[in-house]
Amino acid sequence: MNSPGIYLEITRTSLKALHDDNGLEVPLERAPNGRLTDPAKQKVAASLQEFLASTPRQSHSRAYCAIDARGVSLRRLTLPSVGKEEFQKLLRMQIESEFPLSPDELAWGYRSLGETRVNGAARQELLVIAVKKEVIDEYTAIVSGCGLNPEFTLAAMARRGVLPAFESNFAILEIGSESSEWISFEQNFPTQIRTLALAEKQLSKTENFAAISRTLNGSASAKKWFIAASDADFNAVSIGLTESFGHGVDCEPLKTNVGPGRSTAILGLKKSIESGEPKLIFFESQAPVEKRKLSSPAPKKWAVIATALLIGLVLLPYAEALLLRPLLAKKLTSLKKDQGRLAIIDQELGFLQQLKQSQPPYLDSLYLFAKSAPSGAKIESLTMNRKGDVSLRGTLRNADQVAEFRNKLIASGFFSSVTVEDQSPTPDKQKLNVRISAQWKPANVLQTLKIGPTAEEIEKAKNKKDVPPMGMPGGLPPGFSGGAMPPGAMPAGLPPGVRISSPRIERKP
Amino acid sequence: MPTISDREKRLIRYSAIGITIYLALFFIWRPLQRRRAEYRQLVTEAQDLRNKILPYATRAETVQALMEKFQFDPAQLDKATVVGEASAALQKAAMSSGIQVGPVRESPSRSSGKELASVQFEGVGPVPAVMSLLQRIETLGFPLIIDSVQITPEKTGPGRVKMNLTIVILDFEQWKKEDKSRA
Repeated sequence: MNSPGIYLEITRTSLKALHDDNGLEVPLERAPNGRLTDPAKQKVAASLQEFLASTPRQSHSRAYCAIDARGVSLRRLTLPSVGKEEFQKLLRMQIESEFPLSPDELAWGYRSLGETRVNGAARQELLVIAVKKEVIDEYTAIVSGCGLNPEFTLAAMARRGVLPAFESNFAILEIGSESSEWISFEQNFPTQIRTLALAEKQLSKTENFAAISRTLNGSASAKKWFIAASDADFNAVSIGLTESFGHGVDCEPLKTNVGPGRSTAILGLKKSIESGEPKLIFFESQAPVEKRKLSSPAPKKWAVIATALLIGLVLLPYAEALLLRPLLAKKLTSLKKDQGRLAIIDQELGFLQQLKQSQPPYLDSLYLFAKSAPSGAKIESLTMNRKGDVSLRGTLRNADQVAEFRNKLIASGFFSSVTVEDQSPTPDKQKLNVRISAQWKPANVLQTLKIGPTAEEIEKAKNKKDVPPMGMPGGLPPGFSGGAMPPGAMPAGLPPGVRISSPRIERKP
Repeated sequence: MPTISDREKRLIRYSAIGITIYLALFFIWRPLQRRRAEYRQLVTEAQDLRNKILPYATRAETVQALMEKFQFDPAQLDKATVVGEASAALQKAAMSSGIQVGPVRESPSRSSGKELASVQFEGVGPVPAVMSLLQRIETLGFPLIIDSVQITPEKTGPGRVKMNLTIVILDFEQWKKEDKSRA
């Protein structure tokens, strides 16, 4: 099975790489300040690229890098249990207070050790590692330059990967060519890490071990020490440690398959990664800035919201169709059922309008006759029908009155024709018997006329209320008097040009 | 088990995505589209119906006003009893106006018109009472139209006139039938 990436160990003196079964080891040259020299960087980059070219792999593979413990700080921190965003802020503040540099100047990583309760308040135990950012940046530039995505952890912690499950406290000591690294574990979590001034060539000197004892100053509680060294070196170390620490330390060799690129750290790192549950802490990667930006909680949150909104926008019309269709269909069905009522409204409207238009203006006509009749006139009979035919029989004093009466009727605009069919003297020759026929104008024309008593006439009629009824002017039958018109019985409209504000009924066009 | 190469893996991945998209379109998207099309059709129908109903608000108001004016609802008229009720209402109104009611004759309708029946009414009374009756006839609560009016002096007493009215009663049922045939 192909491994998921490339494993690197960068120490003070060398860079080791392992990809599948191929290994690489490149010596490193450093300046007095500990930084890599430019020629060393170029050499490392070239060697690494050559190595990568010789091994089949996917582009932009992940590179798991283990760095030495020089300059690395390990702290246990306790934080109150809070939300994700708040937690990040609190952690940065805690790092700022615990470490000599600000979090921005450090490359750091953390791992949760679990939650505890102090006085009922939940608190989170964290293990934090930090190193100067420039150290990681330097390595990142080289590894990224070779087309790899590096992730950095501690070599000392990675060495734990080659050990089987081990529950009691223990320590691992790696003997290097210039210095040694010591790390202690309690309940499988690292507690201390030291770079010791113990090189391979100095193992014969017992004072070196005494110095280690002083350095650790009794803080090494682990009784079991795993020594990563050659067999010869292991014996020397074992003797030296026994002498310095007495019989409190039980040394055991940490044996691994040696070869190019196969250091204890690389093999431990590989084993941890491949197991899928690496108990490691990675420094925050510096290279993929864009990736960090995208994977930070806020943009991710907004991206999720935006996507959800977009999906909602697309799906909304369909959701509307699914949700509202039954309601709309139901409503539409009931409306269609009620559609029959519209026809009834139409029929009723037509019928009532027809009824209204068919109401003949008898009262208007009577009013005009009463108003136009000259003094002394007497109406014997009056016949009207809804077709507009009017026939009047009566007596007038003389021909002048007949003419005046006819002229007034014509002038009212109500009649389209007024005909004096017969006028003959009475037997006593004092008056004229007349028979007049007239025809109303069409209904639409009559609707435009304003026929009715003037304000003065209404006032006069009111004043005459108490006066005993008299005959109509000019001899209309008693009771035909205009003043005797019943209240409210007056037909709508007024003569042309007359305006009143008193009560009257107006005909709607 | 043979090892699957990266190329084959990619091919399988893309094929799976393609098949998933096709299945989603076929089983989810197309039914959704169909539902939406049906919904849109319903919406269009509803809008058409709304446009059709909209003018009826005004018409209904007009009908209401006319019914209040004439004091009846045409749909509530019973053809079998309307003539009798109208005749009775007419006589009652005449008497309450102060008219002495004379002979009242009912005639059957003319088949050509939209009339249910015609009533000949004779009465004697003072002029104000006659005017009042003429005014009140249209608000008696029946579809009445005064076909003709004849007024002559009454010699039995001063200030009294004799009136002879021919009143027709309209037939709403007949009107409905003609309206339907026109439609």
